[in-house]
Amino acid sequence: MSGIVFSTWRDEFIDNRGKPSDEWVESGFKLPETYHGDKNSKAFIGWDGVAIFDEDIDAVELASQYAAQYQEYSEACGRCAPGRWGGRILYDLLDKIARGEGTHDDIAHLKEISKTMMTTSKCEIGKTVPKPILDLMEYYNEQFNTCIDQQMPSKHYNGDTNYIAKVTAPCTDMCPAHVDIPAYIEGVRDMIFTDSLAATRQTMPLAHTCGRVCPHPCEDACRRMNLDEPISIMELKRIGADYETDHELPWLHPHEPKPLRNDGKKVAIIGAGPAGLTAAYYLALEGIESHIFEELPVNGGEVAVGVPEYRMPIGKYQKDIDLVLEMEAVSITNNCRVDAQKLKEIEAEYDATLLGFGARLSKKVRAENENPKMGGYWGAISMLDKVNLWHKYQIGAPASNELKDKVVVCVGGGFTSMDVVRCSIREGAKKVIMLYRRDEKTIIRNTTYEEYHEAVEEGVEFIFHSAIEEIFDDGENITKLKVNRFELVPDPDGGRAQLVKIEGADFEIECDYLIPAVSQALDTQILPDEWNIEMTSWNSILTNGKDYMTSREGLFAAGDCEYGPMTIVNAVGQARRAASVISRYIYDGKCTLTDDEIMEDHLNKLRVYDKKEKITGWMPGLPRAVSEKLDVDERKDNNKEVNLGFTGEEAIAEAERCMRCYYISMVAV
Amino acid sequence: MSIHNSINKGKAITVTIDGKVCQSTFGKTILEIARENDIYVPTMCYLTKVLPIGSCRMCVVEVEGVDGMILSCQEKATDGAVIHTNNADIYEERQNIMKLYNVNHPLECGVCDKSGECDLQNKTMEFGLEAQAFTARDQHRPVENWGHVSYDPALCIMCEKCVRVSTEITGDEALKVKFGGYGSTIINTKQEKNYASLGEAAAVCPVGALVSTDFKYTSNAWELTKIPSSCPHCGGGCQMNYEVKHDRIYRVTNNFEFSTLCGAGRYGFDYANEGVTKDTETFAKAIDAFKNAQTVIFSSQVSNEEALILQKLKEKIGLKLVSHEARAYQKFMQAYASVSGKNLYNGTLKALSESSAVIVMGTRINDDSPTVKYHINMASKWHRARVAYMHPLEDKEMQNIVTQFIKYEVGSEEGAAALLVDTLLKEVEVPQAIRSFIDDLDIGNLSAESNIGEEELELLRKSLIKKTGFSLVVGSDLYAHPRAAQIAKLLALLEVYAGFNVICVPPAGNAMGISLICDLNDEVEGKTVGYNVPADFTLSALGDGDLDMPAMNQQEGTLTTVDKRVVPMHVALPYGGYVLNDIANCLGVNAEYTIDYTKALPKDKGFETIEFDSLPDYFDSVGNEYRGYLLKSQKVPVKRALDDIAELEGFDGAIIYNCNPTEQFSAFTAKSKLLKDEAALLGSQQFAAATKLQDGDNITYVLDDVKFNRVFKIDTSMKGTIALNPTFDMGLSSSLLSSYRFSRLEFERMGK
Repeated sequence: MSGIVFSTWRDEFIDNRGKPSDEWVESGFKLPETYHGDKNSKAFIGWDGVAIFDEDIDAVELASQYAAQYQEYSEACGRCAPGRWGGRILYDLLDKIARGEGTHDDIAHLKEISKTMMTTSKCEIGKTVPKPILDLMEYYNEQFNTCIDQQMPSKHYNGDTNYIAKVTAPCTDMCPAHVDIPAYIEGVRDMIFTDSLAATRQTMPLAHTCGRVCPHPCEDACRRMNLDEPISIMELKRIGADYETDHELPWLHPHEPKPLRNDGKKVAIIGAGPAGLTAAYYLALEGIESHIFEELPVNGGEVAVGVPEYRMPIGKYQKDIDLVLEMEAVSITNNCRVDAQKLKEIEAEYDATLLGFGARLSKKVRAENENPKMGGYWGAISMLDKVNLWHKYQIGAPASNELKDKVVVCVGGGFTSMDVVRCSIREGAKKVIMLYRRDEKTIIRNTTYEEYHEAVEEGVEFIFHSAIEEIFDDGENITKLKVNRFELVPDPDGGRAQLVKIEGADFEIECDYLIPAVSQALDTQILPDEWNIEMTSWNSILTNGKDYMTSREGLFAAGDCEYGPMTIVNAVGQARRAASVISRYIYDGKCTLTDDEIMEDHLNKLRVYDKKEKITGWMPGLPRAVSEKLDVDERKDNNKEVNLGFTGEEAIAEAERCMRCYYISMVAV
Repeated sequence: MSIHNSINKGKAITVTIDGKVCQSTFGKTILEIARENDIYVPTMCYLTKVLPIGSCRMCVVEVEGVDGMILSCQEKATDGAVIHTNNADIYEERQNIMKLYNVNHPLECGVCDKSGECDLQNKTMEFGLEAQAFTARDQHRPVENWGHVSYDPALCIMCEKCVRVSTEITGDEALKVKFGGYGSTIINTKQEKNYASLGEAAAVCPVGALVSTDFKYTSNAWELTKIPSSCPHCGGGCQMNYEVKHDRIYRVTNNFEFSTLCGAGRYGFDYANEGVTKDTETFAKAIDAFKNAQTVIFSSQVSNEEALILQKLKEKIGLKLVSHEARAYQKFMQAYASVSGKNLYNGTLKALSESSAVIVMGTRINDDSPTVKYHINMASKWHRARVAYMHPLEDKEMQNIVTQFIKYEVGSEEGAAALLVDTLLKEVEVPQAIRSFIDDLDIGNLSAESNIGEEELELLRKSLIKKTGFSLVVGSDLYAHPRAAQIAKLLALLEVYAGFNVICVPPAGNAMGISLICDLNDEVEGKTVGYNVPADFTLSALGDGDLDMPAMNQQEGTLTTVDKRVVPMHVALPYGGYVLNDIANCLGVNAEYTIDYTKALPKDKGFETIEFDSLPDYFDSVGNEYRGYLLKSQKVPVKRALDDIAELEGFDGAIIYNCNPTEQFSAFTAKSKLLKDEAALLGSQQFAAATKLQDGDNITYVLDDVKFNRVFKIDTSMKGTIALNPTFDMGLSSSLLSSYRFSRLEFERMGK
């Protein structure tokens, strides 16, 4: 079987019942017709409608099971009167009909309760659950009528259909770490900050960090945007973490860590960055031992030595790191550079190995006469290492020794380049220039408005539509750069606009330092040649993006070494999934996903957020809270944290804007 | 766009509600504006004093141009909004919600404690529900007895008010919602503590789910007469009602919508001096005793009017007036005023609750003043306030509120205050004399002597950066301190120059009123008459003296509160004996009733000329308090002369700290049968080791000539070599304790 028998998903209405197969209409949505592997779905039902894939579907049981899932969904609900009792009544009445004991009055009651739930429920889960049930009662009414009129059970009542449900939200779905965002926001709203933190840590151990320096893709999928402005999701995350730190509370875990299994199974993790820490944490919560091998004397990976103190104070990040490293099941060796030989030894000794060594080689800018050994040529990663090791750990020497009163040119456009230029300002550089191939709008999209705006305020000069053609030196040091200028020429055929060099617009910049921050590559010397690890076309380690196993059995990869230079939250999401897969792999040697993970992937493919949806039941025009920042004069010559975070009042007002867009979806297989 | 957007609070807006044009400010919810304008919107879960809960959904309204129904309790009104609070659709949704609330709610109102004052009962009538429209499978969940309160999950409508009160107001954080859809319930996560503050959580319960265990099944609500009054125990003067039938107080309730009452006020009500008749013979002796006495010594458990009568007696017949706690407080405040230029501190509880940073010093505030602690908790919850707690002893009960514990050595309060001044006035402009004083401070030495690290002070300073709204709360450790005057002056600098909202929490009882009304003496001289203090001739409201006096719940009068408010008390129970006014009348200080003195309270101290019977006693519909009146701060001459910091007198070895359990303040709370606290000397393992005491040892010691016989108990939650010595069980003698609250323990064993 294949194809969609019936669907009311979103704005689509498909009814192929009784039509010859060549007249069947197809859906524009990526609905989960196949559940997993060769297992087909019979139906998919969720917040936005219902899709039937099997003509023999038992619509009555489907409806009652959906109500049951909602009824049992204990985390989100029980928080409002219509949801709490309405959900129970929905299920009781639907099950009564499915059992063969229902009446037509029950149908009327169902409609009445549904209306109240849809109008007055607190969160979207209560408002949306009745929708597909009403659809089924309307379009499959003959099945309901048969049960009632003949007082007989529905056609496959208590049969062998499996119903697998998953709760999500648009923001949660969009977050690479699938953080239960509405729950941590609710913790702030309820002022039970420990609940907020516990919700975050279910899937995100780095709450301080991702409450400060996450590029928050979730905010692009915030339904509040359809009404006015998205919730300031990221900043609300640090409230719970700060609470734990401020009150010196014992570590708050999403659940009590399970006792050490002590069964001889152990996992090796290469790198103590976000990916390595995350994997170690979720393995440890399950009682599985892991050992981390870290090249640097300090922990935290690129976030520690790459992200500057003024954006991510090490005192706060260290809390996230300590949370993980203080787990009984986690151990670590520092100053331990893993090379190909060492990796072979590790792999032989451990039951599984996770690579999380990041991407820490600065790529070249690809200009004429580019010589990384030339004085004044300084890769962004090594420059930031120096800055951060000194300011955060007093290791090495201050970078102001090199940069004070110098002219610094950085080529970039992403977060790393922003860190380079803003650190250069703080190290006392005389002049700091950022060259970027594209325009202001793009740099803002690649980073954040705040990041760009703050850099400008601090005195960084941005030259857009520019690229270095040639580097000049005096044999010892770089002296000047020849820079080309470009313009964006629209494609007359409506395609993507092209960057075209403007002839005669070249200019020169005299400078002392050139810091390339265009991108980073991974250091592949760690991978033994004979393993022939498969790589992606952009030379990162290849996995299927679902279980994160590499082409070598038992070797997993997550974070930047898997994806290429990406975000912290991406590394966290990948590593958590990898840890879950590893926790089973080390016992049965198989790479498997849980139902919850399969559903997570289905929903992600389907896309939860609908930017065209009209929001009802909320007051528009309530402004998004923006936290206070240090003034430019208070921050540009030091490493004080720039973002002061929300006041309590702002945090709560912001949390109250959250519409709790929980959705429940279910597949029948 | 890096503009700090503090949500445009306070901007003037105009909205139209049900056709009425309403002026208000941005930041207020639709419901708040409706209530300001006397427009009724029904609610089940709304509680004015906490932030919107939003669980009942009854308050939905319609806004023109906005699709769907809007939750008026939570959604802020925007300028120009046109709002309709009622129409057929809205009514139907509300009615449907009420139908849901009645699902399986046992309609056994006849045997429910809440009957007659139940929101569910009232709204069921209001929305014309004659039958239970829906049913769902019942869940059998037993009633739980949590000590002071009991919880019946079958009656619970999950409005979450109790949880909000426990979190936002009292801060005990005992109650939580256990999520679970239809099976959702409230749980008490700290049952073993039996917090009396849960009485407030029960007070806000709209149905009969969370009730006072003691009151349960004793009376129908409508048979009780409500007598509004003010709580006399801690000096907070919180609003309360005695609920009385046949000359017995059945319970105490309060206006929980807007104000809060702690466990002492709620459960410590049965201390009346009962069965007293007029004993003319003893009364004559009392008159003689006054005539022969040189000194009247009295406790803080007297009203403002009684204090004034005593003052008039002093003026008329030359008696000396001694009241230790009030006198210490009076001297402290006089020194404070010499710097601030006003006779009262500037702080208010409301400003405290709105602070973004709070410093607490010289008080175990959770025990000393629950209402002040609640307001600190509000600041912590609503404003994420930094709370620095400076004290020789850590208090575990404050951990969820405190963000920085700064421990100082016993006796080093002057040094600690000087360090605070140095830290907080660093970048503030102050007159030259004060700057020189600060510059001359030997910080290293002060830091060493007080044991407060300079890095701790730096952390404190940093935590205040970019914040506005600071409060300082100080308490009784400082008032009887040998250097009290100097400490007071130092702290007053923070009010004057650093913009702190300062509250000098008065000692328990009406010490603040006494300190303002009476011209007190330091020492007792000659023959004495005691009022609630043992003396040559003793007047006692406990019934154990020479002549009986009425207890606070048996007399009319006013109290002066920590919030600088003069509040009325009314008679809850009859009293058949003589009162102080009767004695005064025999001594030439004439007035028909005690409350005739209300209007004569000293104007030059900030009191108003207003008859007792004219004192208002209510909250308006949005919670503005109209109880009695606020004292008006009076100007006093400024004399900002600071002394050099005195050498610290070291306190080595085992130390005891006079401190009562949270709901105990005096012999009167001790008499209340619902407040059952054991009076033991509580110390840590370390204290036990230092003193070679074992758990259960009986010891005896003397403080201020008061002899204590105590059992020593080890409290494993405590650390260090300071033990807690309660005084509430010492009867009238407890008022004789007048020294600094910490003292070295010199004891004798009495055997097991």
